[in-house]
Amino acid sequence: MFGVSFLSPLFLIGALAAAVPILLHLFHRRTDVVIDFPAVSMLTRAPVQQHRRRQLRELILLALRIAALVLLAVSFARPYVAGAAAPMSAPVTVVALDISMSLSAPGQFARAQQAASDAVSSAPASHAVALITFADSATIVVQPTSDRGAVLAAVAAAAAGAGGTRYRTALASASEVIGTREGRVVMVTDLQQAGWEANDEGGLPDGVEVEVAAVARPASNLAVTSAAHRDRVVMATVQSYAPDESRATVQLMVDGKEVGRTTAVMAPFAAADVELRGALGDAGAAQVIVTDAVGYQYDNARFVALEPPPAVPIVALVADAAGTTAGIYVERALSVAAEGREFAVTVAGGQVLSKWTTEEMSRYAALVVLGTRTLDRSGRELVNAYLSAGGQVLLALGPDVDHGTLGDVLGVDLALEPAPVRAPGAMLVASDSRHPIFRPFLTPAGALGDVQVDQHRRLKDQEGRTVIARLSGGDAALTEQVVGQGRLLVFSSDLDNQWNRFPLHSSFVPFAVETARYLTRGRQQRQEWTLPDVPPGAAATPGIVMTGDGAMSRLMVVNVDVRESSPAVTTLEEFTNGITRTARSEPQAPVNVARELEDRQRWWQVGLLVMLAALAGEALVGRRAA
Amino acid sequence: MAGEARYLDPAIVARLGTIDLKARTIVEGFLTGLHRSPYKGFSVEFAEYRQYLPGDDLATLDWKVYARTDRHFVKKYEEDTNLTCHLLLDVSGSMGYGSGPVTKLQYGSYLAGALAYLMNRQRDAFGLIAFDDSIAALLPASARSGHLRMVLLALERLKIGTRTNVAKPLHDLAAAVRKRGLVVLVSDLLDDPKKVLDGLKHFRYRGTDVVVFHVLDPYELKFPFEHAARFRDMETEDEVMAVPSAVRRDYLDRMQGMISHYKRELGLVGIDYCLLDTSQPLELGLMAYLMTRRRVL
Repeated sequence: MFGVSFLSPLFLIGALAAAVPILLHLFHRRTDVVIDFPAVSMLTRAPVQQHRRRQLRELILLALRIAALVLLAVSFARPYVAGAAAPMSAPVTVVALDISMSLSAPGQFARAQQAASDAVSSAPASHAVALITFADSATIVVQPTSDRGAVLAAVAAAAAGAGGTRYRTALASASEVIGTREGRVVMVTDLQQAGWEANDEGGLPDGVEVEVAAVARPASNLAVTSAAHRDRVVMATVQSYAPDESRATVQLMVDGKEVGRTTAVMAPFAAADVELRGALGDAGAAQVIVTDAVGYQYDNARFVALEPPPAVPIVALVADAAGTTAGIYVERALSVAAEGREFAVTVAGGQVLSKWTTEEMSRYAALVVLGTRTLDRSGRELVNAYLSAGGQVLLALGPDVDHGTLGDVLGVDLALEPAPVRAPGAMLVASDSRHPIFRPFLTPAGALGDVQVDQHRRLKDQEGRTVIARLSGGDAALTEQVVGQGRLLVFSSDLDNQWNRFPLHSSFVPFAVETARYLTRGRQQRQEWTLPDVPPGAAATPGIVMTGDGAMSRLMVVNVDVRESSPAVTTLEEFTNGITRTARSEPQAPVNVARELEDRQRWWQVGLLVMLAALAGEALVGRRAA
Repeated sequence: MAGEARYLDPAIVARLGTIDLKARTIVEGFLTGLHRSPYKGFSVEFAEYRQYLPGDDLATLDWKVYARTDRHFVKKYEEDTNLTCHLLLDVSGSMGYGSGPVTKLQYGSYLAGALAYLMNRQRDAFGLIAFDDSIAALLPASARSGHLRMVLLALERLKIGTRTNVAKPLHDLAAAVRKRGLVVLVSDLLDDPKKVLDGLKHFRYRGTDVVVFHVLDPYELKFPFEHAARFRDMETEDEVMAVPSAVRRDYLDRMQGMISHYKRELGLVGIDYCLLDTSQPLELGLMAYLMTRRRVL
């Protein structure tokens, strides 16, 4: 299993040079000075102790010299150790064990483990064996090794999780493990159809044999596929994947206690909505549980947050906060969203906002600029810094916007004509109806066609600026551009009911809300997560997650991906055909593998260092002997 | 060392040509110095007059002759020929050691050559015996003309032998010497002291005078080595691993003990002992010889 090999074994012949000091020691030991002297009989012999010490020194010198010569030869032979990690040239059997939620039915994963163990044990004797577990992602649990006991132990330690099935990630990892070697892959899976649905990339090199150890799916499965809290009622959907009509108990749990219960009756392969009532507060989370003793276990429960998500803060900058209009239309329009829970709008005059700090300003997810006349220099710099640092700004070019200082406020030149354009009856037309802002207006009922604009400012064409909507005369009505790290939307008219009647039109509210949502996308507090996506730092398991401390604490829930609840499977043929094959490079020559191994280990350097140490020791001992 | 005396320096002598020249240089230099010394006239008998030449020692001027003839003559001396001298030179392996430019054997050869030259001048009969564990060269004592040349030639041809065995040749020679004489032993005495002493005492018991020149290298006397080394015996090739700093004191004690032992034991039996360091001038050896000769005669 373990052994030392040499890249250039012929250099080992040089170790024969070690015979030279041995021969010298044996046959020519009198290397010291011999003096012919007549009165030798009067010389006492060297003390025995000295003589023995000298003999010991000679032996040490001999050993050091032999060691130096042998180490030199061995270093030149480029040694390397082939350890338990199998040689990179050895063929490999990769056992890919499915640990997705679809293996979580009672007794199902034990069968999968047995199949995986059988695959390990029956792998060809010449093969190294590797183990991969996969669900949403794949993990190489055991690198190719000849130690099959270690692989079997890893199989025994594996457990099914709540993740989805993604075959391609497993195939990509198997391909990485196999590399350029000969190899075969044993997929231990339930062949769930959903495993091919994700748009992952991954295949196997040509010539890599694939075997499937299919694990039987459960006879049926019940899953809670949705749950929502509205008006102290939890509405849940229970999906049945049984061929017969199913009847199941559905419980509503809060803090581990049942607060509601009902019975769901599902037709074969159909879903049923259930209404769960109970003592629900405005905080925390509830859990909807369906009784299912046969199917997958992780989808029997679904978590639902009881508290509303925090509103997204938006500030509206107006010239005169005490004025009659002063952003009231924008404020009222945004307060409609999600029954007033989605946005929290603050209207601030220029003089007030100019006193804000950068930190105060950065708390707001978006800034709607309706007037700039009262902004002083620090206020202009504040808005400028906010935008360039990643802030989201909607600018309405109404009468309260000071054209002369606009460049300072935004940090860019908008290429704006100074004088407003009067064009009574100009219609607002979306240039790109697929833009998120105009998505609600795709249907005829939500058309923008009857919005009329009497006066606007003309924006000249400018590179880097996208026109999202135009006026019927051709001038830009709504543009989008990137400024620094931020985003700037410019509405060429007014949003305060001065140059148009748009704020009074029925399309104004969805326009304002969608624009706000577009600007604050990513800044909204996401309350429900679906595996494999989880809040930063949270574990990839279903449950309730708390982030932040104190007033900043937020509750989120993580649920399984309902696609994984379907026990529909593919046939073996479909599965095999679904594997993408890639061209494989030439197998690595064994000598290159050995060279690579030797390059990594670099034992020759150690050998030379020890040889130098032996020579230094030889010089030291030799000098003392002299 | 100034004047002729510098030729007594073994290192300088070694650079001279033949041993004949070396011996003559050593002796002439020694005698020149001797005329200035309190030892003037030792064992030297009047031989002839010679006309004074510039450079002659004024002390040798015979003022009486000058008074009679009004010419300057110097007195020349010559020795009686009633002494038979045997030069015993150790040529064993250990004598081949030399830490400097001169080995102990070379030093001993120079000394023996100089002594032979001096003996020849003094009309003594002299012979040469070179030995290691046996006799390597033997020239019986003689006072004939030409004998000096043969002795010097033999000295020049000496080769290092093997192991020292001083006792055996000493016993052999002691048994062979019949006439009263003088035995001069030049050796490093790195042998069993008991055997060496037995051999030398053998001479003494037969009435032969003996002078021993104990030739040692300065490294043998001081053991100045610093680094650990294997010390290999030049005769037995035994090896001893030694750290000089650890064994020096013990070695010097042993060496000094050996020297003292020889000095004491030889003195007890009336044998002159002279320790010679191969880095020192040969003058000391010649002087010791003359002292002994004077005592003998």
